[in-house]
Order: sequence, then C-alpha cells, then structure tokens
Amino acid sequence: MSEEKNDHKTKVFEPKIVGFLCNWCSYAGADLAGTSRIQYPPNIRIIRVMCSGSVDSMYILRALLEGADGVFVGGCHPGDCHYIDGNYKARRRMVLLENILGTLGLEKERVWLRWISASEGQKFADTMREMTESIRKLGPNPIAKHWNL
Amino acid sequence: MTQKALKVQDQDVVRSTNEFLKQLLSSGKIQALLVPQSTPSKKVVYPVLIADPKKLHADVIAPVLPVATATMISKMTKIQPPSKPIGVVLRSCQIRALIELVKLNQANLTNIIIIGVDCPGTFPINIYADFPEKKTPTQVIVDMMTQKTTDAEQYLRSACQVCKDPIPMNADIVLGLYGTDIEKEIIIEAHTEIGKELLKDLNLENEKEGKTREKAVKDIREQKDKKRAAFLKQTEGINGIEKIAEFFDKCVNCHNCRQACPICYCKECLFDSAVFDAEAYKFIRKAENKGLVKMPSDALLFQLGRMNHMILSCVECGLCEQACPNTIPLMEVFIPAAENAQKEFTYHPGKDKTEKIPMIVYREDEFLEVGEK
Repeated sequence: MSEEKNDHKTKVFEPKIVGFLCNWCSYAGADLAGTSRIQYPPNIRIIRVMCSGSVDSMYILRALLEGADGVFVGGCHPGDCHYIDGNYKARRRMVLLENILGTLGLEKERVWLRWISASEGQKFADTMREMTESIRKLGPNPIAKHWNL
Repeated sequence: MTQKALKVQDQDVVRSTNEFLKQLLSSGKIQALLVPQSTPSKKVVYPVLIADPKKLHADVIAPVLPVATATMISKMTKIQPPSKPIGVVLRSCQIRALIELVKLNQANLTNIIIIGVDCPGTFPINIYADFPEKKTPTQVIVDMMTQKTTDAEQYLRSACQVCKDPIPMNADIVLGLYGTDIEKEIIIEAHTEIGKELLKDLNLENEKEGKTREKAVKDIREQKDKKRAAFLKQTEGINGIEKIAEFFDKCVNCHNCRQACPICYCKECLFDSAVFDAEAYKFIRKAENKGLVKMPSDALLFQLGRMNHMILSCVECGLCEQACPNTIPLMEVFIPAAENAQKEFTYHPGKDKTEKIPMIVYREDEFLEVGEK
C-alpha cells in the first residue's frame, strides 16, 4: 500500500507501524496519552501483549515480511517488569533479531524497542512522533513490493 | 587426561576400533552401546543401540551422518535416563548438539558415557550410499587421513569442509585419529574419571609421545579455519532481500530441514499449526496489497523464523542442508548467520555444559544502546 502512496509524489509517505505494547506499562502509557487527549500520529497499529518478553521475533519478522514499514515494541522500564525480567529478555531477543535483519538487508532502525511506563503518556506520544518521522525518512519497507517470499 | 594407544591389526582400522568397543561392552561396565553401524545392505551407517557384544559391527570411521544422533539420545533419555551406564559413540558436532539439547532440557546425560571420535568429515548420504568409486567411502577417508590421496575432500559436505571443531569436546573417552598413523595405531584418551575407569582393564598400550597429536590437531584446526574464512568471504554476497528471496526460491516449505535439525526440538512447531490458514478474504487482501502473492506465502518466514529460534545453538552439522529435497545450500546462509549471532553473545554452542543458553539469561547493564536511544 505504501507503493500506492509513492505514486502520488505530492502526498507524504505515511508509514505503517505495527506496535506490540506490554499490558502493564506501555499499553497503559498509550491509554493515558489517549485519555489525556495528547495528539500523536495515527500511523501505529497497536497490539496488546502481556509482556515485551513475550514478543517472539517471529511476530516482528512476519509484520515486516507482510509489508509493515516499522515495528515498535514497548515494555516497562528496566527493573520495572511486571514479570521481573521479561524486558531484559526482550532486549536480548532484539539484539538477535537485529542480526537476522542484517542478513535480510533490512535497516535495523525499522524496529524500535522502547521503555514507556504507565504514567508516560507524553513520552508515548513523543516517541510515536519521533518514530513516524524516522521511518518516513527511511521510506517504505523495500520488502513490501516483493510478492515471492 | 590419560592417553593410551590401540594397536591396529592388519591395517584394518574399522575392525580394530570395533574390537575395542567390543572389549568395552563385554567388560560389563556398560550395559549397551550406541554406535554407527552399517545396515545389512551396507548402504548407510545408522546409529544402532547394541546390547549383545556379538552383534557389534561398529564402523566409527564411515563418513556419513544420516540422522542427528543427538536427537536419538534425546529420544531415549528425556523421559527417563538409563539406570546403568550406556556408551554413545559420537562425532564432535553431535556431542555439541547433545550438550545444547541438555541445556534445553531435551536430553539427560545421567549414565551416558560419551565416546567421541575425531571427525575427518562426512559425505552426503546419497553419495555415501551410491559411492561412485571402486573403493569404499571408509577406505577413501582412511586414505585421506593417512595422506595417501585427497580424493575424499571433493565429497565432503560443505558443513564438514568448514567445520571449526572436528575434535570432540566434553567426551569421556576420545578415539583420536589425528596425529597418528591410523593404519597402525589409534590414540585413546580418557578425559574424565569415568573414562579412565572404563579404560583401566582394557587391552591397550600406554602412549609414549603426546606431542604429535597436539600438533596435528592444531594443523587441522588451522586448515579448517582457513577454509572457513574463505567460505565466509564467498558467502558475503548472499545478503539483502533480493538475494535472500532468490536463495530460498526452491524452498517448498516442506520443513525437512527442521525435522533433520538436532536443535529444533519443539513437539508442536508453529509452522505446522493452523496459524497460517485464514479466511479467503485475508489472502485476497494480501494479494490486493502487493498486487499478487506466492502460495505458500510463508516459506521465507519459516526459514527466518527457524533461524531466529535455533541459530544461537546451531552446531553447524549441516543436516538441514542434507535433508533439503531441492538441494538448497543452506549452510551458505546459516553458517554466516550462526557466526554473527554467536559472536554477538560470545556463545560457543556445545562447549561449556554449565553455561546457559543466551536467551534465558541477561545482565542489567548490557546492550544499553538497544531499548533507549
């Protein structure tokens, strides 16, 4: 779909971002942004998960192969995980995934891991703005146009 | 470590190693042996569990690895390990795979005596079974080891050509083929107390000179490292979505590679589940998004997903490549990926029994650049 947008050169590219937010912190942070009426770009499609540590790299790879321009993973701040150490494990997985993205020749900047607590509605909105702009600069996911994967 | 020597009779290294194993099994200290042994057709050598010494016809040199022996040991120790010791004869890659399976709670080393064999490498199963030369594959390998000919090298599987650990680690007993003229003598090493105890009463000679083996082991490592560096250089180009998509073009999503892999142990693989079946409109929407979509549409996701799940424990045995019905040279992607990922976590699969797999441990002060910028 990002291709379509590119056909109209006058239109700005609106990246599609899939977001995996942990139930205890980041999802609540996003919720707070909403209930506080803090504006942020609507480019993210949020999927609630129980913990950032439960986000198998497969989910991220699938989103990217299906053509998502970016993937966001949000977890509790280090030390604050509801399950004690899920976010530390998420961080290790992210390092491994970055390795595999390298093989795929995909910019690792397309996948973000950030810590956002339940009280950080403003931070969530700011991060969304920052990520949307960053992915917009990177351009559409080059995988999106490949149909033979 | 104690080093002893096994005299080889009539230059028949297979028979002599078999005699050694027979002595071991007859000693009564172990109740069974898992050894590589020819099927009656002599076409393939399989891991065979032997309780009766009279039926033992092991061929520890035969250059073929039809299945992951580590998986076989997982199958017979996971539910309940043996109550008395059994010996398992393994190549280096299979010992490493076994150690990884232990770490993954898929195998139990209680009462398992690991007998490692120096590995000269293996041939693809099809070449071994229908060998194009007059000599047997075993003889060709023996000729390579005794530096008579180098014919064997052309048949070696790519994984074996660039193997970084042909010498067994974590074994109780090692049958040393490097650093000796194997048509005259084989080196037998005991690396643990159990190994020492088992060798005590066997008919072996005390080895005098230990230096030749050390040097030969160093030489073979250097030789393999050089080949490995060249291999990594040569495969650098397989990178980027176009090249990767082309590389996996022949993948029909049959999952044989996963079946053959000693590390892939999940009883229910996500890729066999109904996750990828969906209502027609979802497929149509996907086709509409890209204009068209290949079916099955998850072959690359399977490859990358599998890679992501097992690459840190990948022992580079190359059985995935051997299992591929469409001969995709999987090692060209998996060895560089394993090299990179394992370097990132400074992890050497199969080396240290007490080290935990990287995905279940963490440090608070590591990878700080990931997560917050």
